Amino acid sequence: AKLCVCDLLVAQCDVNCCCDPDCSADEFGLFTTCSVPIVTGDSRLCSQKAAVYSLDVEADPPERIFQLIDQVNPSVFCIHATNYKEALSFSNPEMPTSENFDQLLQQFGSASFSAEPDNWNMNTDVQNPPDANETYRYEHGVPIQTVDTFLRLPSPVVSSWCSDANPAGFLVNQATKCTRSVSVEKCGDVEAVNMLFYVNSSILAVSTNLFFQVNITVQSIVVQSLNGMQTLLNNSDVLRLPVVLDELCINLVFGVSYHITYTDTGEIIEAAASFVLGAINREALSIQQSFEISFTQVNTEPVPLSGNPGYVVGLPIRAGFRPQGYPFPGEILVLNTNKYGQLTILQSTSNQDCLAAQGARSPILFGYNMISGCKLRITAAMKCQPLAQTLLDLLKGQSFPEYVASFGNSQAQDVLDWVPVTHLHTSEQTMREFYNPFQSSCQIPVSLEIEVKWTKYGSLVNPQARIVNVTATITTTTWKQLPSGRERTIPVTSSVVFTDISSPAEPGYKAWPTINVKLPYDFFFPFV
Amino acid sequence: LPSVPLQILLYVNGIYYTFYFLATLAMMVYKSQVFSYPDDFLAPDLTLLFVMAALEALRLQLGSKGNLTEEEAPLGLSLVLTVGSALVSLYFLLWQTYVLRADVLLNALLLSTYGLESVLKVMAIAAFVS
Repeated sequence: AKLCVCDLLVAQCDVNCCCDPDCSADEFGLFTTCSVPIVTGDSRLCSQKAAVYSLDVEADPPERIFQLIDQVNPSVFCIHATNYKEALSFSNPEMPTSENFDQLLQQFGSASFSAEPDNWNMNTDVQNPPDANETYRYEHGVPIQTVDTFLRLPSPVVSSWCSDANPAGFLVNQATKCTRSVSVEKCGDVEAVNMLFYVNSSILAVSTNLFFQVNITVQSIVVQSLNGMQTLLNNSDVLRLPVVLDELCINLVFGVSYHITYTDTGEIIEAAASFVLGAINREALSIQQSFEISFTQVNTEPVPLSGNPGYVVGLPIRAGFRPQGYPFPGEILVLNTNKYGQLTILQSTSNQDCLAAQGARSPILFGYNMISGCKLRITAAMKCQPLAQTLLDLLKGQSFPEYVASFGNSQAQDVLDWVPVTHLHTSEQTMREFYNPFQSSCQIPVSLEIEVKWTKYGSLVNPQARIVNVTATITTTTWKQLPSGRERTIPVTSSVVFTDISSPAEPGYKAWPTINVKLPYDFFFPFV
Repeated sequence: LPSVPLQILLYVNGIYYTFYFLATLAMMVYKSQVFSYPDDFLAPDLTLLFVMAALEALRLQLGSKGNLTEEEAPLGLSLVLTVGSALVSLYFLLWQTYVLRADVLLNALLLSTYGLESVLKVMAIAAFVS
């Protein structure tokens, strides 16, 4: 089969290729001729076995006739025997591994190299032993294998029609949408809108190892009615197959969402699929299917990252708390599950009244300096202390975090990866207050400025942003009790500033060559 | 009396060997161009061919001298050298890097000539000793 030159498509039958092992008898019946009538090894050998293929067009359907004959080369210069293993075939080049990399680099790493490496005398079968530990686990991008083929994620290829030949890659999160042709008449015939097609095959837990298989479980089924209303089914154990009901074809697969759980050694341990089933009526000729696949590592919560590893401009800052009652270092931090709610800033509202603010907050996105504020109307009836507390809550929000992640992908378990928030307090003091320290010293916060200092970390060509320091400065001003009837409006601001404190690259020069002048040992020979 | 068949055979052997040497050399050049014939494999084959040529010249000279002067010693030495040449010819027949059909024919013929020669030499030695 290796010698069949017309066998070009893998796992598919090539047209008019009689030596293709993927063709079945009915496919042979469709051929008109055999494009490759004879398959032999090297034709210069004196005598060898040849496979002759011919098509018997008399029979109905046409059959392929296969004969094994001995082909004799009449030339006097035919090869009778060889004592040299690689004589008539190309030797497979060595696969670089960590053991032979240096030797290969030495051999092939220069501008030119000899065409005959010195290891041609060795037995070629021993050179590439299957490395059990390295080839069996899944790596990023490798197609996920099922028992007979690959896990497929139908996707549009050239037009928007679904093609079933797109394999799902390991750790490659994908979401695709494509159009599938289906009608009420062919309700049960189209395989790709049948739930069974997607949960049928089992996924291999490790690549190429058929012993460990993972069945695809149905996690949830959402039924979508003709007008688009979706309801979640309670019982997702029963497989619902397409069936014709009241001139509608129901239980057609409109969407599949795969969730694959993997371990850090590259093994798949769980696979779950969530379905959206819908119905079509007589007029529909096609439906749009959407597919997605996502990967979660086992024993971790899928935490959305703000960068990997450095922060990406525009993604929210990740921040959290140390839970109460755990004074020991190294414990897990608690994060708000909403990634946009971990570190927030006051959001200006249209009426700009601080006290009427609904508590709307906007997330602090990395790299975006923001300023917001509101106006505080102070009347005579207000008291300092409760107002100060209200303003503090307004500026800082309900849960101001204690720690901020230094990298976009810092895990909650690694407390050392998190930067504690430093709180500073300055007060606006006018000259008059400075000279009269005996006036009432109730301070109300009027401004919160968060300064995030970050630096470039890592390689020069691909620097990663790393947060080094977060300082929250509250500026307060003295409360002045107003006489009754008077009103004052003061602005309250809060801002976020990102400062790049990475040290600039310094030019480095090689040391100047020194002149090493030393007289030779026996310069003054006759005298010393 | 010197053995006439042996002398004829030695003369014919000389001519045939010249042809054999040139043909084998030409075929080696052909093989190195048409097939993949790395230097590690070409060197031993060429060396053996030249060694065989030298051996053959010496052997034929000794055999002819021994036969004509009716002495057993050079004839015996020639017989020993014939065994050596036969082994080299066997190498070219079986253990060369590429054995073509022409190689098989040439070496088979050479080996049969050596066989016949050895028989005649033994008979000649027997005749001279007695």
